[in-house]
Amino acid sequence: MDALVNKRIKKVLKGDQNAFAELVELYQHQLYQICYRMLGNKHEAEDIAQEAFTRAYVNLHTFDQKRKFSTWLYRIATNLCIDRIRKKKPDYYLDAEVRGTEGLNMYSSIANDDQLPEEELMRMEVQERVQYEISRLPDKYRAAIVLKYIEELPLSEISEILDLPLGTVKTRIHRGREALRKQLSNL
Amino acid sequence: MKTCPENIIHFMDDYLDGDLNPSDEAVLKAHLESCIECRRLYHEQTKTIALVQSASHIQAPSDFVAKTMQRLPKERQRIGVPR
Repeated sequence: MDALVNKRIKKVLKGDQNAFAELVELYQHQLYQICYRMLGNKHEAEDIAQEAFTRAYVNLHTFDQKRKFSTWLYRIATNLCIDRIRKKKPDYYLDAEVRGTEGLNMYSSIANDDQLPEEELMRMEVQERVQYEISRLPDKYRAAIVLKYIEELPLSEISEILDLPLGTVKTRIHRGREALRKQLSNL
Repeated sequence: MKTCPENIIHFMDDYLDGDLNPSDEAVLKAHLESCIECRRLYHEQTKTIALVQSASHIQAPSDFVAKTMQRLPKERQRIGVPR
């Protein structure tokens, strides 16, 4: 697989744009899925997934072919998703811990504000509800949860994609999972 | 109210990550046998994971490749023309 991918990459670098179409073909569903689960919106997911491929194309000469192409590609996509989320909702400072309140942050104190009413939650299909709850997670937990449970990637690869130490990745998965457990407890 | 050993939660997290060594796993399992609270938590955690994973896998739209290719800058094609 990697050899095949690298062969395509070499062709693209020589100017064969069609070879890039084969890479898009190969990774389109996974990349789209990551973006959709991160953003919770099909239109945005398509836009960001396309943007990720465009950036990969433009910067392909910087990709180290000894590494895994998918890891590099997913990293571009998750970064774009996180940027998009932060632009949409300026809450990126909210997960800084509030001083003197261990484990409590601004996010946990406002999280309820943007929650839909109980009756509306109850009307949702299970899958719709799960996606809704994933999209309520702070973005840094969201990325780890999506890569771990939707893409089912190994922790070491998630650590590379998110450019975080393994321990931090684990913490984010644990906290994200714990938050989801509470959010989904009435299901 | 009895309190559970603090390391049990860590063991549970690592176990759910598929990342717990066998001796700690034995400690965790023995504790789960005896503690209804931790057992309930464990079941809720596995249920949460199952729910997240049940979110069906969705596919990119059928025109995704074509649209992505249209969006690429055209320069490289020209640069790449063999001289």
